[in-house]
Amino acid sequence: MDETLAPKQTGGIFYRVGLFFKPVPLLGYLIGFLVCVLWEQLAGEGLSSLLGLPKMPILFGLLTIFKVLAGIVNFLIKGDAFHWARLVEIPMALVYLTVIYLVPLALVARAAVKPANAMARYLQKFPLIITALVQLGLMYAVLHVWAEVSDYRLIFLKLTLIAVLFTLSLNIINGYMGEFSCSHPGFMAIGAYMSSLFTVGLFASDKVLGDAVFNFSAAYLTFPLALIFGGLMASLCALIIAIPSFKTRGDYLAIISLAFLFIVKSFFENMQALGGSRGISGQPDWATLPVIFITMAFGIWTINNFVTSTMGKALNAVRDDESAAEAMTVDTRKTKMAAFLFGAFWAGVSGGLLAHVLRYVNPAMFSVQKLAEVLAMVYFGGLNSVYGSIVGAVSISLLGEALRPLEIFKWIVIPLLLILVMIYRPTGLIAFKEFNARQVFGPKEVD
Amino acid sequence: MPLLHVTDMSHNFGGLQAVSGYNLSLDPGQITGLIGPNGAGKTTIFNLITGIYRPTQGSVEFDGEELVGKKPNETASMGLARTFQEMKLWRHMTVLEHIKMARYSKLSYGLWGAFLDTPKRRLEERQTTDLAMEYLKMFAVDQFADQLVVNLPYGAQRRVEMARAMVIEPKVLLLDEPTVGMTPDEMMAMIEVVRKAHERFNLAIFLIEHRLRVVHELCQHVQALVFGQVLVEGTPTEVQNHPKVIEAYIGQQEVEF
Amino acid sequence: MTVNFLMQNLINALQWGSFYALIALGYSMVYSILMLFNFAHGDIFMVGAYIGLGVSLGLLSLFGSGAAAVLPGWVVLVLTILISMFLTAFVGIIVERVGYRPLREAPRASAAITGLMIGIILETANILFLGGSRLKFPQLIESVTYNIGGVYVTNKKIMIVLVSIGLMLALHQLITRTKWGMAMRAMAYDYVVVPLVGVPMNTIAAMTFAIGSALAAAAGILFGLAYPVLDPYMGVSFGWKAFVAAILGGRGSIMGACIAGFMLGFIEIMTVPAIQIMNRLFSLNIGSNFRDLIAYSIVLLILIFRPHGLFGQAYSAKLRL
Repeated sequence: MDETLAPKQTGGIFYRVGLFFKPVPLLGYLIGFLVCVLWEQLAGEGLSSLLGLPKMPILFGLLTIFKVLAGIVNFLIKGDAFHWARLVEIPMALVYLTVIYLVPLALVARAAVKPANAMARYLQKFPLIITALVQLGLMYAVLHVWAEVSDYRLIFLKLTLIAVLFTLSLNIINGYMGEFSCSHPGFMAIGAYMSSLFTVGLFASDKVLGDAVFNFSAAYLTFPLALIFGGLMASLCALIIAIPSFKTRGDYLAIISLAFLFIVKSFFENMQALGGSRGISGQPDWATLPVIFITMAFGIWTINNFVTSTMGKALNAVRDDESAAEAMTVDTRKTKMAAFLFGAFWAGVSGGLLAHVLRYVNPAMFSVQKLAEVLAMVYFGGLNSVYGSIVGAVSISLLGEALRPLEIFKWIVIPLLLILVMIYRPTGLIAFKEFNARQVFGPKEVD
Repeated sequence: MPLLHVTDMSHNFGGLQAVSGYNLSLDPGQITGLIGPNGAGKTTIFNLITGIYRPTQGSVEFDGEELVGKKPNETASMGLARTFQEMKLWRHMTVLEHIKMARYSKLSYGLWGAFLDTPKRRLEERQTTDLAMEYLKMFAVDQFADQLVVNLPYGAQRRVEMARAMVIEPKVLLLDEPTVGMTPDEMMAMIEVVRKAHERFNLAIFLIEHRLRVVHELCQHVQALVFGQVLVEGTPTEVQNHPKVIEAYIGQQEVEF
Repeated sequence: MTVNFLMQNLINALQWGSFYALIALGYSMVYSILMLFNFAHGDIFMVGAYIGLGVSLGLLSLFGSGAAAVLPGWVVLVLTILISMFLTAFVGIIVERVGYRPLREAPRASAAITGLMIGIILETANILFLGGSRLKFPQLIESVTYNIGGVYVTNKKIMIVLVSIGLMLALHQLITRTKWGMAMRAMAYDYVVVPLVGVPMNTIAAMTFAIGSALAAAAGILFGLAYPVLDPYMGVSFGWKAFVAAILGGRGSIMGACIAGFMLGFIEIMTVPAIQIMNRLFSLNIGSNFRDLIAYSIVLLILIFRPHGLFGQAYSAKLRL
């Protein structure tokens, strides 16, 4: 845990690039990205056909590159035919990435330093919430335009945003509290099933759950209720684990929660009233991008509020030395319970979102594999850090998608990467860094 | 009526009689020392008073209230603060966060305030920060406020721990070997810190200490504990020169090498 | 619904439990020494079974099978078990070297993550090399069924139970009688101080992984004999359950792991007849597919009332973060 002093580099390309972009505030990057995505809508098709790419690169050209690599791998292993001319797609995809994203982003972000900083400074005169809303609105606009290009992007983006919320909710327990919980996919399953029960049961006709009870056009307005219902049910079930686990110390939670995960999965597999192992499908299409974005932003906001308050810092105190925390008036049991139920709540909400994005839910989705995935996201990104969870969830999702052409090799590359991260940075890439909203949304002062 | 009143307290760990028939009465503003060889049960007495262990027998009264059966965080919020021999600081938290944490029980914004960043929470957090800074200045560690506590020099860490216990605004402070591992200079500084805190808040202090120098400087009254039992009680000089105490520390026989 | 029926299930439970017990031993031994769970252990069990498959096929082609066999089946079986145990021990040593030794000073949770990831890599490698289809384990010994008072027992079941108990006794001897066993026990007691008196920490840790893996390999082969279909994910489903057994026995307790392994097998197998009896008695209609649900609820209940497992001590280990 050497977050104390990073050696100051006095040269090197990365240092120079870092220096170059240092004065750019978040607002500047957002404007830059907005220009990029608009530019891609305008020129993306044309440029990709000009470059001879089969179709417009979807994930910044990564997918294109890995498709070619997968072709080579298949040629080497199975002897499948490979057109060597396709090799040219790799540099072309990189050109595409540079022309569409990197250059405009760099130029616009750097050029907009002055106005963006002025704007950020101006916004800072208002309460933080105004600044945050303006910049989040801009961020949403970027994502919206980016996702408009294809349905694939849209669903990828939705799943990634859900993964961010899910990862962060686990980070409360595994990072901030320093316990090891295995039950998070279980909470997600409960949230997914319960919110589906709410929406499908009440507002849609379905083989498993019967006809719609209500039928009115503005039914989607009840979606937040469904999500909250799912989250609360997940918290309620979390109580089953929390009550026995937090009586004793040590890694007892890891085991109880693992047994709980098995039980939840087995329960949903056997509940014929909830569709058994086929699950529930036909959820209404209410989890649109804005809904997910708002839920995620709100979730991150509350979680960050919690972990930066003294009440939430008590989690760190409990983790670092429980008896000292107790001696300093901290009600350790209450703190742990609250954090655990809070984490479970957001896991349940993200489960509800997931069910309504995929529009089906079944027990097989919430297996030990799901656990491995979310643990990978938490530990790759970094413990005890909101940034870490965002970075972890986004990069593992992106990596997972980009490596999809490599098929089974994906499951060698990602674990290897994670092992390397664990060996060289055992607490993850961006661990123990506080997310200060005022700083993030504010202007960058550089003298 | 003494502030802290322990009567006939005994405790055994599965057959091992760690403390037996222990009595203590501590008045407001009094400093009492507890000395004794290693393993005599000094820290166990602290743990029994603060509620980490539950005495098998006897009662602990604090300010007229029974403490037996209360949890450590409850006794602490009633005004019974303590420090630890091995310090027990939180390695991933800054100095300021340490001090603020000890105000946990005084915060009233609740979980909703924590989740939703209400005005009440902002107000209370700001007040707590101000108060914490005041205490940091008092213990001369304010220049480290935003540093991780593990990066501080040893003496400063000790003072942070003192400040953390003091910000609870205790009526009784239990100090477990506050000068252990210190150089003579650091030790003198620590004695000064304790004395200042004592004078300023009219604290009652109960102190475990090995160094007789510290005991002489600070305490009006000393108990000598051997094998879980108080052997001798009295002024520091009386206790120090008592033959039984000397025997317990040095032993009767000459040690042969 | 007779005594015979229960006896029949009891024998099945013994067999099923011996797999759990052998695997759980590996979890427990590693925990007792390094205070962390080797989450790759389930997959080591899988690798062990596949190595066993390879070794037995190799031996059969060398010495012939069926009527042309040079060696009797049981000799091949014993050889298979011994060679596979030896080979799988190296897998365990590699896992320790790659995934755990670099992380000795890191938070324990990070080591758990590397373990999980190594497990995924082992599964993937298996699919990559063997194509992911299920493979059939050769039947090395003729199946003979004995009828003892209406209870049917195959020679395989008897052999499986006996071999696993034999291995457990051997392990017990190793741990209590040898210098290395003593070092292991000392390390389990205090892994900070014991290396200071000259016990080589790395050697002991590697040895622990090796022994645990060898036992898992034996479990894999015995499993292959009883249920002759292997698939790459057998370690996930089976290994995690054995992990639960290790916990149930008490973290780090060798005897606890054995007994709890048998107990978990017993709970899992006996749940089905119990459900049938309940259904008949109270004319309910609970499906026998509720087995896992009920079995793990029982485990959860036991753990709630005995937080440290059946034979575990009260550790108060915190994650070293």
